[in-house]
Amino acid sequence: MIHPLAYVLVGSTVALALFGLVSTVLADPPGPAHVRATGAVEALLVLQALLAAARVYGGERPAEVSTFLIYLLVSVCVLPIGLQFARAEPTRWGGAVIAVAAVAVGTVVLRLLSLWGATGGG
Amino acid sequence: MVDEPPSGVVPRGATATGPGRVLIAVYAVFALSATARAAVQLATRFHQAPLAYLLSAFSGVVYILATVGLARTGQRARRLAWTAVLIELAGVLVVGALSLADPVAFPQATVWSGFGAGYGWVPLVLPVLGLLWLFRTGRTGPEQAG
Repeated sequence: MIHPLAYVLVGSTVALALFGLVSTVLADPPGPAHVRATGAVEALLVLQALLAAARVYGGERPAEVSTFLIYLLVSVCVLPIGLQFARAEPTRWGGAVIAVAAVAVGTVVLRLLSLWGATGGG
Repeated sequence: MVDEPPSGVVPRGATATGPGRVLIAVYAVFALSATARAAVQLATRFHQAPLAYLLSAFSGVVYILATVGLARTGQRARRLAWTAVLIELAGVLVVGALSLADPVAFPQATVWSGFGAGYGWVPLVLPVLGLLWLFRTGRTGPEQAG
């Protein structure tokens, strides 16, 4: 787990959630901007998952390894599914759906941080 | 309103459209997290708190059924959604009250402990929103369809 990247991710998911909520308030259906924003956060999530998984297999042990790996898997799956669901019915509510997915992913990243932090490693 | 689908497209009483999709997204997140949490609990430390972990699994199933009921269209799906959301409301109220009355028997081990305080009170708010949405789509179904 790379702490600076995780903190950037928490911030990114909050920003993505706000972006989604603002589009809902403005009655703006999900479009290319939403795809790009979600894709950018997803790219960082994939990077984090790869780095963290590499460190786990390299011998570092977070508090609950199986839980940690499940959270890593979930962290990269939620946004693509959420974006798909948001764009399936292109109404103002798509943005709020993306926001829900972003908050869920942000929570997962926080859980990953606390599990990793319990090892005392950085 | 740009967000309104063309009239006639929305099936009568549909729950999986408009703001309902946001509700379904939240339900799906809880279905996933409650079920996954229960699976890990039951697999790794069932003997520590069997009741709480079984409750955890039960809540996960309820969230899954509510998600499916809300996401699908038709009378059976609507009945499923009503049933699941009512059980969910009863569950969060009963487990919430019991967890405060007897914290030893109910550690912070289910999404419903402490009325869902560990999950930002969302488990308490969600069934209320679910019931309001089911009531609203049931009542205004013909208008949405026409």
